[in-house]
Amino acid sequence: MRFLLRTLSLSYVRRHLAKTTLTLLGVVVGVTTFSSIRSAQETLVKGIRSTVDRVAGKAHLQITMVGGVPEEMQEKVRSLSGVRATSPVIEQIVVTEKGELGSLMVIGIDLLGDREMREYGFEGEDADLDDPLLFLSQPDSAIFTRDFAARVGLKTGDTLSLRLPAGVKKVAARGLLTPKGFAEAFGGNLMVMDVYAAQDLFGRGRRFDRIDVRLEEGVSIGQGTATLQKALGPAYRVETPSRRGEQMERLVGNFISGFNISSGFALAIGTFLIFNAFNVAVNRRRRDIGTLRALGATPRQVRTLFLSEALIIGILGGAIGCLAGTAFSQGLLRMMGQTTETVYGISGSGVVTLPPGVALQSMLLGVLASLVGAWGPALVASRISPTEAFAKGVFQTRAPGHAAPRILAGLVLFGVSVLLALHPPFAGNVFILSVVITGAIGLVLLVTPLSRALLIMAVPLVSKAAPVAGRLSSDALLGNPRRSSGTIMAMALSLTFVLGLGGYMGSTKSTMVRWMDDVLTCDLFVRASANFTRPDFLFPGALREELLSVPGVKAVESYRGIRPIYRGQQILVGSIEMGGVLDRTKYEFLQGNEQAMRSGLTLEGKCAVSENFFGRFGLGVGQQVELDTPSGTVRFPIVAVIRDFSSDQGSVFIDRSTFLRLWHDDRVDVYDVSIKSGTDPGKVRDLIRRKLAGEFPALVSTRQEFKDEIGKAIDAFYALMRITVFLAVGVAFLGIVTSLLISVAERSREIGILKALGAVPQQIGLSIVGEALVLALVGLVIALPAGDLFASFMEGPVAKTFTGWGMPHQYPWDILGQLLVSLPVISALAAWVPARQGVRLKGTEAITYE
Amino acid sequence: MLKLQDVFKTYEGKAEVTALSGINLTIGAGEMVAIMGPSGSGKSTLLNLMGGLDVPTSGQVMVGGKDLAKESEKGRSLFRRSKVSYIFQAYHLMPTLRVSQNVALPLHLAGVPAGEIAQKVARVLREVGLDGRTNHLPDELSGGERQRVAIARALVTDAPLLLADEPTGNLDTARGEEILSLLRSIHRERGTTIVMITHDHHAASACERLIRLRDGKVEDDGAVAGGGR
Repeated sequence: MRFLLRTLSLSYVRRHLAKTTLTLLGVVVGVTTFSSIRSAQETLVKGIRSTVDRVAGKAHLQITMVGGVPEEMQEKVRSLSGVRATSPVIEQIVVTEKGELGSLMVIGIDLLGDREMREYGFEGEDADLDDPLLFLSQPDSAIFTRDFAARVGLKTGDTLSLRLPAGVKKVAARGLLTPKGFAEAFGGNLMVMDVYAAQDLFGRGRRFDRIDVRLEEGVSIGQGTATLQKALGPAYRVETPSRRGEQMERLVGNFISGFNISSGFALAIGTFLIFNAFNVAVNRRRRDIGTLRALGATPRQVRTLFLSEALIIGILGGAIGCLAGTAFSQGLLRMMGQTTETVYGISGSGVVTLPPGVALQSMLLGVLASLVGAWGPALVASRISPTEAFAKGVFQTRAPGHAAPRILAGLVLFGVSVLLALHPPFAGNVFILSVVITGAIGLVLLVTPLSRALLIMAVPLVSKAAPVAGRLSSDALLGNPRRSSGTIMAMALSLTFVLGLGGYMGSTKSTMVRWMDDVLTCDLFVRASANFTRPDFLFPGALREELLSVPGVKAVESYRGIRPIYRGQQILVGSIEMGGVLDRTKYEFLQGNEQAMRSGLTLEGKCAVSENFFGRFGLGVGQQVELDTPSGTVRFPIVAVIRDFSSDQGSVFIDRSTFLRLWHDDRVDVYDVSIKSGTDPGKVRDLIRRKLAGEFPALVSTRQEFKDEIGKAIDAFYALMRITVFLAVGVAFLGIVTSLLISVAERSREIGILKALGAVPQQIGLSIVGEALVLALVGLVIALPAGDLFASFMEGPVAKTFTGWGMPHQYPWDILGQLLVSLPVISALAAWVPARQGVRLKGTEAITYE
Repeated sequence: MLKLQDVFKTYEGKAEVTALSGINLTIGAGEMVAIMGPSGSGKSTLLNLMGGLDVPTSGQVMVGGKDLAKESEKGRSLFRRSKVSYIFQAYHLMPTLRVSQNVALPLHLAGVPAGEIAQKVARVLREVGLDGRTNHLPDELSGGERQRVAIARALVTDAPLLLADEPTGNLDTARGEEILSLLRSIHRERGTTIVMITHDHHAASACERLIRLRDGKVEDDGAVAGGGR
């Protein structure tokens, strides 16, 4: 076999370098996407965990509470037996004024008492730190890691501008940390400052984000947790740092596992490119195969030869893909990190290195994709009989296999896929994968007979449109069912993905836009923070009265969202003056009604839940949600289930009065401001800005600006999916190019004869372009219903698995419209090179081709 | 050596084509036989059946006591590897392999050790007069030389049966005569059984026996007057 690989295979590679590169590209595309996504995912998760671990230092336990831990709790904790040290912490992600430096994690700590908890390795002539009191007396004091300082060009005594809610603020570097241990957190992009200065800077009031606790020696974690939990009550969470890290990982898990769809699709693309390329190779090398067989090569030897080639391509493509994946993963990590920060308020940072596990997985998948793609063609090659190989044209015109068993198997698998989607026997990723795989295989099996039938139907139309070129295209398409169906298969699958994913994204966005139109009905939104999930500043509750006094303001509601953990998920508990909100909004009720919600929430202290909360936890009207509050554990009866997209983890809504009564915290995230009719929102916005200037950080947006911002957040969430859609169109393009190049090569003799008989170059060129158009059209016709089914699957079961929301199905007409315009252009472009090749073929050479 | 009994071969398609219709033939070991007949008479089909490249629709194809019709695909491949060798009109050399590599190909398929392959290849190339062309590609050779490479490839396995499908069909008279002379010497010196399809009476006259086919049947079978010169 080594001899055959060294001679026959290698010489084929040399002669067909472009095609071999294309085959290799198939594996590279798949493995690059997979390895970059997996590397970024792992780095993100590791970054989150390691940041939590490193920042925790020697802390055994961390105390948190939704809304922050009141300052006075520190003394209470410190006095408990078994506690050796406590240290309050505030954590905040900020960006420097020059955004290109990336995110910076600000850690606010009590420098006087924190040395029990974390070790600080100070560098240089840090005179200020010799006297921490002096450091504390200057509220703009900050300590940076040496690495970060070097990157920014910062020396002790220099200032750095940070972009904060209150505007740009300068901090002064008064010390540098050696980048080890604690200082390695968040990839070294760390700034340490005094916890009380951080409270002011980030509007935490008299609260800390958490209190780190170091236990006495001999006190177990279990004992410590029990003591603290008993003393503090159920509203406080007492966890080890690693458990907190795990919790965060779980939160972002759903989001990042959504990327697996793109990664799986990329591998499928690679497999198809390999399938196509090996089909070409078998076709071109059939005479060599025939000779080998005549000389005594067994079918198995022929099959092994092709599979060995696939193995080598898989290994080579896998290695290149791993390297390329590493290069892409840093950008991907940034994109994922930004989204997890915006959507979940969780940041992870780090430099992506290819983890050995991911490298191994990627290589194996590359090899597997290559072998799977080459398996069919290798099998076909092994079945080529010498007599058939030596007879001109017999192989090309052979139909691929028997139609009846193929159709039956395709229908059965497709039916199984639909049944699984309608009645899922299991949940999660296994469910999604089983539906997608059975559906895709079913479709692949059905495409060949379907495309044949459609091609036969298309022939009269094409011939009518262009009598000579059309006839030639039709003959070429019908004359080689194997090649045509291979291309149509790749085309149909790609377009199914385009329609399915595009339809899903379109449906999601339009549903959310509709929801925003119904719910976000006030005229102005006054926010202290641009971050929806982890606000870096909160307004005092008393500001409402001040806003009400602004001329033109009719009503103001105070929204506060907290994100407690409920049955392992970080849900949203939203509170607002519900009476006012219900007066101006139009909720879609899945259970209950407006009247029940109004009286239940405003008068009886009950709650309403979102559709995805109901879907995730199975709790609806008549049942109760049990939440831990500073006043103890409270059961909230549910009076309504509403459609709401505030959180992908599920939302519970209560009236503001209930929140104030139970949480004793009057701070506000957003003030919803309604203005008097006839008043110009722009003018009122300016008045509010003027009133708050210098007093509070305030982002005042009109309704449209606010909606646009949310729209951008949704777009960011689906960014990679959009890339997948482009990738799919790219595959369709490559599929057509390959198919037409084969077509021209196979038809060389025919083209020569046609030229000898007087066919003009224009007719030859047009026939090849026509072939491309018909291939694209037939692929699209098959993808129309398949894409619609895929979109329904994404909008229903998949969306529910990841977010708990079911999106109403709508046909992706906009995507279809775009495809109808772009596909002919793309097909014609794809036909350009093959058409030129066909036109330039010399008649005499072409005739003697075989 | 070869015995065909009631051999029928039909090809199914839009219209059924009968290529061979009840062939009965016996060819003894060491014979050199020519098969002639007009196009479509079934010559190539018959040769394919003798070499196990194809199987009959019905009947027996006994080669060396083995019924090829009953052999599996793999069995027939292994049979071809050791018992039969081919020479084609179109040579069917691997265009990207050098002369020595082309000749060595069947030995590599059979898993013969590299040292032995080199010896055997050198020997047969000397035998066919191509020892100075071992590193050439087929494209760099004349038609006659290419056919010599194909003959060397056929000889290298020492198969007792050599099937030749119009071996001189693509060559001019002088080159054709060279090839025929080479085949005769192989037959004489090695005792190889040779079955050769030809359209050329002159080529047929190089053989001892001539079988004429017409419409898939044996029309005539007898000794060639003055054959085997």
